[in-house]
Amino acid sequence: MMFRVNGEQRSWYEGMTVADLLGDMGDSQHYAVVRINDKHVSRPYFEKTLIPDNSEVFLIPLIAGG
Amino acid sequence: MIMEYKMDTIKTFYYDRPIIEKGYANQTLSIDISVPDISVKPVDEKMKDVFIGGKGFDLWLLWHSVKSTTHWTDPDNAICIASGPMGGTPLYPGSGKSIVTTISPLTGSVIDSNVGGYFGPYLKFSGFDALEVKGKTEKDIVILIDGVDEKVEILETSGLPDDSYDLSAILTEHFAQGKPRHISVVSTGPGAKNTRMGCLNFTWYDLKRKRARYKQAGRGGIGSVFADKRIKAIVARWDTVKADTNNPANGNALKAVGRKHAKEIVKLDPKQNEMATIGTTHLVTIMNDFDLLPTHNFQYGKHPEAVNIGQEVYRPIFDAGYDGCWMGCTVACSHGVKDFVPLTGPYKGTKVFVDGPEYETIAGCGSNLGIFDPHTIIEMNFYCDAYGLDTISVGTSIAFAMECFEMGLIDETHTRGINLSFGNRLAALEMVHQMAEGDGFGLIVGQGVRQMKSILARDYKADPHIMQDIGMEAKGLEFSEYMTKESLAQQGGYGLALKGPQHDEAWLIFLDMVHNFMPTFEQKAEALHWFPMFRTWFGLCGLCKLPWNDIVPEDNKDTPEPAKVMKHVEWYAEYYTAVTGKKTTPDEIIRMSEGVYNFQRIFNLKMGFGQRDHDDIPYRAVGPVKPVEYESRRERYDKELVEKHHVDITGMDTEEKNRLLRKFREALYEELKDAVYKRRGWTANGIPTLETVRRLGIDFPDVLELLKAHGIE
Repeated sequence: MMFRVNGEQRSWYEGMTVADLLGDMGDSQHYAVVRINDKHVSRPYFEKTLIPDNSEVFLIPLIAGG
Repeated sequence: MIMEYKMDTIKTFYYDRPIIEKGYANQTLSIDISVPDISVKPVDEKMKDVFIGGKGFDLWLLWHSVKSTTHWTDPDNAICIASGPMGGTPLYPGSGKSIVTTISPLTGSVIDSNVGGYFGPYLKFSGFDALEVKGKTEKDIVILIDGVDEKVEILETSGLPDDSYDLSAILTEHFAQGKPRHISVVSTGPGAKNTRMGCLNFTWYDLKRKRARYKQAGRGGIGSVFADKRIKAIVARWDTVKADTNNPANGNALKAVGRKHAKEIVKLDPKQNEMATIGTTHLVTIMNDFDLLPTHNFQYGKHPEAVNIGQEVYRPIFDAGYDGCWMGCTVACSHGVKDFVPLTGPYKGTKVFVDGPEYETIAGCGSNLGIFDPHTIIEMNFYCDAYGLDTISVGTSIAFAMECFEMGLIDETHTRGINLSFGNRLAALEMVHQMAEGDGFGLIVGQGVRQMKSILARDYKADPHIMQDIGMEAKGLEFSEYMTKESLAQQGGYGLALKGPQHDEAWLIFLDMVHNFMPTFEQKAEALHWFPMFRTWFGLCGLCKLPWNDIVPEDNKDTPEPAKVMKHVEWYAEYYTAVTGKKTTPDEIIRMSEGVYNFQRIFNLKMGFGQRDHDDIPYRAVGPVKPVEYESRRERYDKELVEKHHVDITGMDTEEKNRLLRKFREALYEELKDAVYKRRGWTANGIPTLETVRRLGIDFPDVLELLKAHGIE
């Protein structure tokens, strides 16, 4: 049971949220948005959003807009 | 396409094309269409040192063309277009931008607008670092700048179509001599004639799709000046662009740094924002999630239907393929929609190709109008481009009219029977068609928010005070599409921007509100110095800013200043050095921009603006105007009153709390002005000091005289 974060394999566990992942990585403040497969998830939803097994996660350092 | 049209040459100017030296042609092209007269002006070392190129050159030419009393319709108002020393480099991503300046119909002062497409590089390679066109004619004209045959021509025309969509296709074919990629057309459409918010379309030729595509110099009504002069189009013709066409000082160093940046984008864009696939559409749902997506004329920041106009919807709608608006760009974000069939207007029922939509158009012509139908937004996008209208000003102006309608400030007797309720898709489209025709209520909306406020108060007795609060314009320019209520830094990013509230000076919302990188006033002021200066530099050099901070290095977050993406800033310094041969550093980049930035501020002063009062913004940009807006974020606002301002809100109703909140927030914005002016080296009235202009080398005699007239000596 694995998933990928920015192309690198990580172990997956049942009930893992985006907030859990960033906490495990020590990166909770640097990312405002992550993409799980093709779906964007923003920080207000990090604690509610589960990471599915075998998913592809990208951490998006969104500092720019316009 | 079969069309009867005529083009007769009325003036030809032959010239010897100079060799490009380290990114410069070392001369500019001046055309007075009234006479008509065509001439060349030299570019000296001082001009390059102080103004660098691009917007800097434009401003210098415009400064000498206009008087303080020049109105946008006067013949001495010039349209200036320039690339920059790095413009036209195919080896470095995002190096094909042009900057356009003129005196704006919306603001009455200097406007600048940056745009992709091939024109700026082709102009330079044809022998001119910048172009200024002034004068007016009574007959429609086309200007041809032919770098291959070394001639400039003015042609009188008749029978050409009015809209940019057909016009640019016909002119591309007409001048191509079988090589359409060698042509770039600048044109506008009928909307530009009949409104103050006309845009210019700049083409680039799409080899795969075999058609002229276009990008827009949208802001400030430059297209309306173009149409008022009766210029149908300006066409540039150039040959094949090669790696050394720009003749950089150090080609190997350029290749090395360009390759690094291009490869990084190819590797990281798919992991980050996917701009090469979905453009800027990802911002829609992200802004919505953070309560920052303007909906219903900037009243609210989110809507449950926003997902219907986000990246997941547009991804399959976009026509897949390479979409770079300049050669070699690996960001390639200029996506489009193939075989779109409009439901209204002159192209109703026919297949067209639509360039866009980008985030600003989706938010401006979608959510801010209460429209969450992706196809209506595409149709608005198409007609705005074809008619030569700025989608941002169109969206923000219609949003204002819709809110006035819903508040009962105007009714159907004023709109000539059109129900302008939020969400009325056909009414929004009808407004766009009316703007193009110069007819109906669209004629009033097309004057922009500032003029609309006066017209509705004068003719329909609408309440001017509430319209001042909800009319989203500053300096006369309509706001672009970000909510600023909860980010003081972004209020400054918009309000303190030289041309008006456009996000291309400083986009600080996430840094301020989400990442909390700048909690103090001093930090906000520093950001409102550094970011506008660095972003100004892109416009001096012929560059797009997207490669700088929309795709960032993987280790960026571990650097001391992640917001600045300093690794890329250093690459840009290397890039500038490699092209111009002038050794530069990140600090020197900021100093270059400061000179031009302060000169533009002083230009505003010359035109009767550029002081503290002109940096005011409507209260809707600062906080909730109506109780219903307060209620939508009650928890946040109550907390602010209690914890930040130590107010006992027990027993207070919403209106009372809102009045207090307004007092505090307006005071904070004034404090921000003080901090930013100080950091920028300006007086408390927002005018550059003598020391500042001397330090930056812009202490020209007429600048000193102007400052003296304002008590600065």
